[in-house]
Amino acid sequence: MKKKKVLLAPLDPVHDIGLKMIKRGLEQKGHDTLLMPPDHSQEEIIKSIIDNKVDVVLISRTLGYGVAEILGKFIDLAEAAGIRDKVKIGIGGMAIRPELAAELGFDAGFGPGTTVEEAVAFVEGREYKPLEAGISREKKDITAAYDYSFRNKRIEKLLDNIVDGILDYTSDKTTTAILRAEIRRQIIDSTDESEKEKLRREYAKYCDDVVKSFYEAGKYREKTRPLTSDEVKALGKYVDDVNSRLNPLTLQHIDKNPVVFIQYGTGCPFMDIAHIKSCEAWGANGVIHFDPSWGARTEGFLEGYITHEEDGSIITYENLKSIKESLAPYTLWQVRAHRGLNTPETVVLAGKIGADLTKINIAYGSLSGGTDPERLTVDAVAAIKYAAEFGMPFDVVTNEELSGVPAFKAFAGMLIVSKLGLRLGGKPILQPLFCYSPEVMISGQMEDNYIDFNAAKIYCLRNIINAPIWCGAPIGFLTQTEDRVQSSLMTALHASLASSLGVDAISIASSDEAFSKGPITAPSRIDTLRATQASFRFFGHSDITPTENAKKWAEEMEEGIEKVLESVVENGNFVDALYQGLLGSREDGAYPGRAGRNTVLRKS
Amino acid sequence: MPDILEKVMDAVDVETYLVCKNEEEAERFSIELMEKLGFQDISIVFIQHQGPGARVRVRGYIYKPGDKYSWLFDQSN
Repeated sequence: MKKKKVLLAPLDPVHDIGLKMIKRGLEQKGHDTLLMPPDHSQEEIIKSIIDNKVDVVLISRTLGYGVAEILGKFIDLAEAAGIRDKVKIGIGGMAIRPELAAELGFDAGFGPGTTVEEAVAFVEGREYKPLEAGISREKKDITAAYDYSFRNKRIEKLLDNIVDGILDYTSDKTTTAILRAEIRRQIIDSTDESEKEKLRREYAKYCDDVVKSFYEAGKYREKTRPLTSDEVKALGKYVDDVNSRLNPLTLQHIDKNPVVFIQYGTGCPFMDIAHIKSCEAWGANGVIHFDPSWGARTEGFLEGYITHEEDGSIITYENLKSIKESLAPYTLWQVRAHRGLNTPETVVLAGKIGADLTKINIAYGSLSGGTDPERLTVDAVAAIKYAAEFGMPFDVVTNEELSGVPAFKAFAGMLIVSKLGLRLGGKPILQPLFCYSPEVMISGQMEDNYIDFNAAKIYCLRNIINAPIWCGAPIGFLTQTEDRVQSSLMTALHASLASSLGVDAISIASSDEAFSKGPITAPSRIDTLRATQASFRFFGHSDITPTENAKKWAEEMEEGIEKVLESVVENGNFVDALYQGLLGSREDGAYPGRAGRNTVLRKS
Repeated sequence: MPDILEKVMDAVDVETYLVCKNEEEAERFSIELMEKLGFQDISIVFIQHQGPGARVRVRGYIYKPGDKYSWLFDQSN
């Protein structure tokens, strides 16, 4: 490209910093630049254009007072001097809008928020294509860089022993959830309506009464209703309209910044979609489906577009499909299957509809999620096999920490399920909590700061295995208050801590995280996305330095994990170890779940 | 011309600083303020009284999940 000679001139008593930044950008691209001092008259600028034989002139004007008159006069002078057709003239600054510039006869106008690259593109006469600061808008595979090799071979050996036991224990067992998952798959695959009806009748046999009454009598659960065909049609139009003008912001400032997920689950899939589209616009990289807690204790799924007046959006094929179809192509989508009585079917639905990720953890689901340990163990093995079949990595969340289970015990459970996942061909993602857990509230590890103990978790896991880490869920849990500034700040600081520690992904809360008297709102989601973006920008490549405590606690955690795994091996049976409290006891605050107790069947 | 409140996706938050003696009074004033503005489904999201007054964030829900959202049907969205 031909080198350009560019005059940069402020039409103000003081310099606009923007001109200096553009000068630097132009010089980096090899152009010659001349920056005039401030406070020169318009006539002097015209003279300088002529004397220096420049190709392009960039004028800046920050002051708004009399802007139209002054700039109009400048164009008149340029025409009178015979240079208007020979020189490209652009105008920028706080007082400028593109429409005003065009009206006054400038070749381009650059208002607030203009990038240097935009001005350089104008000088070079090419179309401006926004850069994404090196961050591509493609779905990121957060497992891609990991080989899952164990650095702690002793722990690997213990895990292998436990996993052998789990696979042996579950080999001759099944559940109604597994049977339903297979029927659901056939319903989805079938194109014959009469066959589908027959399959639905069979499916209903394996459901509890609430779901049965839906299939047999068309009854809906209280506080739910089917969405109307008008609403479904309007949603399609709404999503098309929004997608046509979606020009998303980028949260990440550098490549090292983690992928950012938000959790949705307002109760209504259409409100969820509205929130998701808003979050995509403000830069969220991924979204997580949050289902109602009663759904985890119900045998079977409903069908159709169904809305719900309380937290958590109901899992049905149609609800999930409408959410999937609304997503931007680069948005990661996770459907959680980590607890409850429908784990295998959730993974089948997620996989068939095209989710990118799921969530499975036997220890959490059965110790804090309310599902019977034996039932969830059998279901989870089937669910992990489906996740592997559909190529969906799954995170292994450690939310039992929130019940009071110490991190080392929760991590032992997480590592067992992760190893099980690897054995079954899956791609597990470790999900340590970044939270102010009951453990640290009692023991005091966060009395000084929120950094060290969270850092210890990451150091510990890295010492054990080379695996992806996704901090959750949400980060900063129990540090946020109902004040949106404090809440957003705590989220943002935890996000930057996660980034500093080099983790792969984070789940963030909204600024309504601590507010429990009503639904989360769209602006509260934008609050924390904005705060996270600002924090990533603030820290850049600089790091947060934990104190020596972090390494000390990481070592203690690793020792604790090893001891727990040894006790599970000595016990001889993983399911029994869950009932016995080896991975989280009643004293810790964990109680083996009762939903689905005594429902495991022998394979025929 | 649609009712402008129908353009609100879910809720309107009003944030301000109320001159009052204590948190109890702040709560009462917050509700009164929102009622005066015409909101019906009101929640106090955040309230903290310190010295001369209270920092408050009060919410008036326009739509809650499960409602029929006018903005979904507005073709000019």
